Amino acid sequence: MLALFLGPLFNGLFTAMVVFLFATGLTLVFGILRILNFAHGGFFMIGAYLAFSLVKTFASDTSTIAYILISIVAGIVVGLCGLVVERLVFRPLQHVDEAYSLIATYALLLISEGAVKAIWGVSFHSIMTPAALGGALIAGDLVMPVFAIFIIGLGVLCYSLLEWILQHTATGKLMKSVASDPWMAGMLGVNVPRFYAWIVVIGFFLAGLAGGLLLPNQTLSPNLASVFVVQAFGVLIVGGMGNIRGTFLASILLCVIDSYGSVIFSEVPGVFFYVAMAAMLLMRPQGLIAGARL
Amino acid sequence: MMSQASNSTWKRDAAIAAIILVVLVSLPFVTSKGIVFIAGTLALHVVFGLSWNLMFGQTGLVSFGHASFFAIGGYAFAWAAKIAPGIHPLLLFAGAGLFGSLVALIVGILALRRSIGVYFAILTLALSQIVYLLLSYIPALGREDGFTGIRRPRLSLGFTTIDLASGNNYYYFMIAMCTLLAVGLWWVMHGRMGRVFKSIQQDAERAAFLGIDVQAYRLRSFAIASGTTAIAGALYAPWLQLLTPEIAHWTFSARPILYTLLGGVQSFWGPVVGAVVFAVLEYGTRTLHGLSEIIIGSILLVVVLAFPGGLLGGLSRLRKRMNRKTIVTARPEIVR
Repeated sequence: MLALFLGPLFNGLFTAMVVFLFATGLTLVFGILRILNFAHGGFFMIGAYLAFSLVKTFASDTSTIAYILISIVAGIVVGLCGLVVERLVFRPLQHVDEAYSLIATYALLLISEGAVKAIWGVSFHSIMTPAALGGALIAGDLVMPVFAIFIIGLGVLCYSLLEWILQHTATGKLMKSVASDPWMAGMLGVNVPRFYAWIVVIGFFLAGLAGGLLLPNQTLSPNLASVFVVQAFGVLIVGGMGNIRGTFLASILLCVIDSYGSVIFSEVPGVFFYVAMAAMLLMRPQGLIAGARL
Repeated sequence: MMSQASNSTWKRDAAIAAIILVVLVSLPFVTSKGIVFIAGTLALHVVFGLSWNLMFGQTGLVSFGHASFFAIGGYAFAWAAKIAPGIHPLLLFAGAGLFGSLVALIVGILALRRSIGVYFAILTLALSQIVYLLLSYIPALGREDGFTGIRRPRLSLGFTTIDLASGNNYYYFMIAMCTLLAVGLWWVMHGRMGRVFKSIQQDAERAAFLGIDVQAYRLRSFAIASGTTAIAGALYAPWLQLLTPEIAHWTFSARPILYTLLGGVQSFWGPVVGAVVFAVLEYGTRTLHGLSEIIIGSILLVVVLAFPGGLLGGLSRLRKRMNRKTIVTARPEIVR
């Protein structure tokens, strides 16, 4: 009985947190720079591949700490890529039309896909879940993999941390002020270009980190880049144009609906995410949390 | 003055089209089968790009799900040709186009009512994902393996019957159809409706103030573009003789956007130039694994960053600058 009613909820929460972890960096960059970054998926994938190589080279025993450290290293490397991308691509894009920034980030996505193919090849890879995160918890007839519980916890932790930074620290207030009026913030003495650079670096760091952390859950192939992008765009827009809280809530809403939908209509799994997304956009075009920036 | 200007555009565009047609028609005589196949596919991609630009460049609508209409047309044709082989193929192509327009109308009535800009883009993206997933689940449409065994039909024209399966017949048929579709799009863009579209693109609020039913015209633009693309998709089905759900994937929806922005939004020929450049790049780098994407991506990036108006936009800016120089050098003579 439990599995019938709570199983889809649990699975939905799990995919929701996967999508949310993927979408945090995307939300941050879109919320502040107003660039819808197609390449986010590409750099997420680079993070995952980097973590894969690091695991293969240094940590054959797949301990949990090594896995987290390696994810952070992958995040830092991808963050440095972000520094270059900000300098060469995002900064010049500030002055051109939105449609062109889309095509530029799509070009970046192609480049990152090409880089992955050239460096790691086109074959499929995967790694084992760290030993401590393997296995499952069983409540009644409901089976909950420990790794899924870990990811749900991680998603909630990540959300709480970002929310705390945004609402209760000086940095967060600065971020919100730049997001709502960069010109005014510049007049008040904020170094806006440098601030943007930091945001992009953090956004890319989050992409690489998510790539590493979600690695045990993925099969690595050059298609990985475009797997989550569309879902992430969906939660970003349904959430309300780039605020973290909206993205978090929209991830949960859409993924849980999709999870139940896929159980009830088992012939067409995955469709309900997009049906719910379209319905939400039609009913609440302003997004779940309207007006709020970040 | 006005009619004179459009008259000269008409002549210029007809001349360019004639040159392109001569090249396309003579291709089977001078090159290999592989190149002819690429050229035929390119013709479809050109229609795909041109119809997207009717929405974007002309009406200001950004659709991220244009590929779903290409797929809808293709699958509708393939399915109808399979269950009712007796129907005249021209009727099937027209039917596929109408079906695409109908779907666009239904979607558009819902979607265009409240959402515009980035919302419309994401909404059409969601739609295309639904189409993509459904195509890969429906058993009658071949699921993920694709719709196989699509035959090139026999075309009876009353006085004669052409077997499109033999030789390069289907290629010529496709070129003829694509020309018709492109001429149709040109005619829409340069006619009264096109000017109304353009006014909406430039300032929707002011257009509404002048008494234009903005929503109805946006809907028309969306339906025309989608129907045209659906016919291109229907033409694609017998060309490849196989359809896979990949043609509804969002990465394929990105194609017309790339063509248009690469070539230039403001010109009718922008998507054409973009599609040709893209095809050449793809063909030139086809053997380089991974490097192919890096090269295509880098070139796109350079074009976007260096020529924000696309290749044609950059060209016309260059020409303007040259003209200005000639005027400057000419001035002393006038003074003298």
